[in-house]
Amino acid sequence: MSVKSKSIQNKSKDERLRKVSNLKVLLNRPELGALGGSVLVFIFFGIVAGDTGMFSAYGTINFLEVSANLGIIAIAAALLMIGGEFDLSVGSMIGFAGICIAIPAIYWGWPLWSSILFAFSMAVLVGYANGILVVRTGLPSFIVTLAMLFILRGATLALTRLITGRTQVPGLRVLIENDPIAWIFSADAFKGVFTWLGSLGLIALRQDGTPLATGIPASVLWWVGMTIFATWLLMKTRYGNWIFASGGDKLGARNVGVPVGRVKISLFIGTAVAATIYACVQVLDAGSADTMRGFLKELEAIVAAVVGGCLLTGGYGSAIGAAFGALIFGTVSMGIYYTDVDTDWFKVFLGAMMLIAVIFNNFIRRRVTENK
Amino acid sequence: MRKIYLTLVAFLSWMAMSVASFAIDVIVVSHGQANDPFWSVAKNGVDSACKDMKIKCKYTAPGTFDMVEMAKLIDNAVSQKPKGIVITLPDAAALGKSVKAAIAAGIPVVSMNSGSDDFAKLGISAHVGQTEFEAGVGGGQKMKAAGGKKALCVNHEVGNVALDRRCAGFKKGFGGSVEILGTSNDPTEIQKAVAAKLGGVDTILTLGAGLSGEAALKAIKSAGKTGSIKLGTFDMSPGMLKAAAAGEVEFLIDQQQYLQGYLPIAIFAQYMRWGTMPAGVVMTGPGFVTPQNASKVIKWAAQGYR
Amino acid sequence: MSNNLVEFNNISKFFGSVIALKDVTMHIKKGQIMCLLGDNGAGKSTLIKTLSGVHKPDEGEIIVDGKQTVFDSPRDALDLGIATVYQDLALVSLMSVTRNFFMGREPMKGFGPFKTFDVNKANSIASERMGQIGIDVRDPSQAVGTMSGGERQCLAISRAIYFGAKVLILDEPTSALGVHQASVVLKYIVKAAASGLGVILITHNVHHAYPVGNSFTILNRGRSMGTFEKKNLSREKLLGMMAGGEELDKLEVELKEIDRTNKN
Repeated sequence: MSVKSKSIQNKSKDERLRKVSNLKVLLNRPELGALGGSVLVFIFFGIVAGDTGMFSAYGTINFLEVSANLGIIAIAAALLMIGGEFDLSVGSMIGFAGICIAIPAIYWGWPLWSSILFAFSMAVLVGYANGILVVRTGLPSFIVTLAMLFILRGATLALTRLITGRTQVPGLRVLIENDPIAWIFSADAFKGVFTWLGSLGLIALRQDGTPLATGIPASVLWWVGMTIFATWLLMKTRYGNWIFASGGDKLGARNVGVPVGRVKISLFIGTAVAATIYACVQVLDAGSADTMRGFLKELEAIVAAVVGGCLLTGGYGSAIGAAFGALIFGTVSMGIYYTDVDTDWFKVFLGAMMLIAVIFNNFIRRRVTENK
Repeated sequence: MRKIYLTLVAFLSWMAMSVASFAIDVIVVSHGQANDPFWSVAKNGVDSACKDMKIKCKYTAPGTFDMVEMAKLIDNAVSQKPKGIVITLPDAAALGKSVKAAIAAGIPVVSMNSGSDDFAKLGISAHVGQTEFEAGVGGGQKMKAAGGKKALCVNHEVGNVALDRRCAGFKKGFGGSVEILGTSNDPTEIQKAVAAKLGGVDTILTLGAGLSGEAALKAIKSAGKTGSIKLGTFDMSPGMLKAAAAGEVEFLIDQQQYLQGYLPIAIFAQYMRWGTMPAGVVMTGPGFVTPQNASKVIKWAAQGYR
Repeated sequence: MSNNLVEFNNISKFFGSVIALKDVTMHIKKGQIMCLLGDNGAGKSTLIKTLSGVHKPDEGEIIVDGKQTVFDSPRDALDLGIATVYQDLALVSLMSVTRNFFMGREPMKGFGPFKTFDVNKANSIASERMGQIGIDVRDPSQAVGTMSGGERQCLAISRAIYFGAKVLILDEPTSALGVHQASVVLKYIVKAAASGLGVILITHNVHHAYPVGNSFTILNRGRSMGTFEKKNLSREKLLGMMAGGEELDKLEVELKEIDRTNKN
């Protein structure tokens, strides 16, 4: 069943070259482990929670939403990790961006769309700060962004209390109605399809006849879109090659003319912007901002990226893998609530499944790269 | 390599068998994590009730106080099509959408502990908990019966609606003159502030046991006024319980979170059988812990029931 | 007008009170392979870093194509055609042959902001160039990590040549290679010089340097002991001039002495 690999002509005489099937070539990719892990997780929950409603339309959207939110920051974290750096300030940026959206809109009377744009411009500034500090000082990004984690979280709390006297800023839901931008982050897509499925009785209905699941949430579309964009960026553009080079051999890359500094700074801006997208989705969904939002999310993003095949040391990985890593995380986080496991054991369960997913991922990658 | 592979598969299958679930009757979505001593008592209430009522329940809570995550847990619960959902309602604005979706899907919801103001307008059937104002009234009445005429209500977080209501209720139930003393939440500062006011009062009510209760107790003791000034507090702490057993504290107002966990389950069990549902608020407090029953309460608290 | 591709005249480099290089002169012509020899600590790496633009010389001048130049950064040297292949090769083992070959100078196709990396074109060029050296790259999208050390050296050299190097500086290219692989690399170096490049080959291995070099510059403790043409220099004389020749002789004598006393 083997098919000639993508080698150039007149290689058939090379005794070192076997006819490698296209399947094996595919298996060689970093995503495979994460894909395998996802399949494993779905099979597991299919057995354990198959008829509990986890895979109903409403249940599926529930865990997809969690996956999507994580996926948005995981993809950016993966790109940065491939480029050889970490951003531990992502979680704090989520909180900070949240109040950048909420405070101007509620306390200063700004239209929501301009608050959102304000939040994105702050993201660019924070990302640039992270990047320039790492590049200029040569300090490990772990340390620099850890400091930024504290600075941002503290600033979020201090500024919010200063301006509002509280740690929460509610009241945003009403502002979403007529805003030109807000819907990009909060609307449901394919509403019509779901209504139609509901009318056919294929998905659960509310008592008034409308479907329980109203549509695909915007965050899921952002997740898919970002995955496609990031993959194109990595594989098909010059900039993508520079990302691999900067992570694989910083000095060597610089020596052949790759603008490593600029690449890293732009990647840090990427993670800050991704955090802001996450914050937009969350703030508009909850209708409020809170100074503690996003706590520890940067670690989850890194785990998703690693499960997705990104090497912690940089230079290798994939955005699709990180997207699957986020899917695994989201499915497991929500899936456990469908099982009989006492939620006291929740953290143990989550950690164990993550470990299994990573080991499985590693196993597949080793098996394939060593078994050529 | 094969062996590891097979072991992994065997382990996963075992895991799968042991956690495979059966139809769930009631899902509790609370903002209180089970590792919090207050909430672990409530969870014990839930677990006991499920056993006693012979139905299947689940207690879930987000990892941190995160309303977004809690809303997702409510959605998660709805997708499992339980017979009923119990929630706490600390933030009606953030949780409203998910609660309304649950009710629209035909799943009745009962709230507990927080949200006594908002539960009705979301369509929640009943609320089980302690309403702050009424609890304050109860405390005021008890202090009045003990002969108090001039009181101090120590509020360590003015602006927190629940706490403000406690003092307001107390004022109503007490009848005599009540001064509201606003403080920070620093125990030393609270102690000093209370000490300064000891001269003009014969009754003090604090709104938190571990923080302001114990600070006020220290102030009274250092001034040697134990016995001549009556001290009561909302909520419980080991220190205040001990003081009550020793007769130094008039009463602790216990909101009895064990009942907040137990009763909603019992309510749903009956709803499932006969369609009955209480209307409005079922009060679990004020429960008074006094020198008479303090030692028993201490014993039960150690077992996780108070 | 000299036919020197590049002249390094009286180069000195100091680091604080340490004299790393003093008064070193080296001229490279087209087609010439200049071997830069010297024991560890002689100053070879400092000289190379100065030649490739990493360091600025404290004394002396650099003349490229007849014009005096100052390198502000390695990029400047690169732009003038002086390419350096360091021992670590500047190759990322996890990336494919093609991506490594075109790192920093990827061929593009398309318009405006939608320009993409022309992977197919890059793949075919990379395979072709490697084929010219005699290295059969089975699949240019395979990771460089799967290639042998010698093949990787050739890739790095081939890359430098493809992107227009006029002077190639090779830092210890054969030090980590086995006999067969070293000879593959040396053959390639000879080929490159024959096509008109000037090559500076840094090594401490006389047995690799002597067969391929035309001229030899020997460094000892930061100073040049002179530049010698091959016709004036035998292998033994060369070995003797490198630091260590004297010591090895002394050692030989001492060992003979120990042997003799043991036998008694």
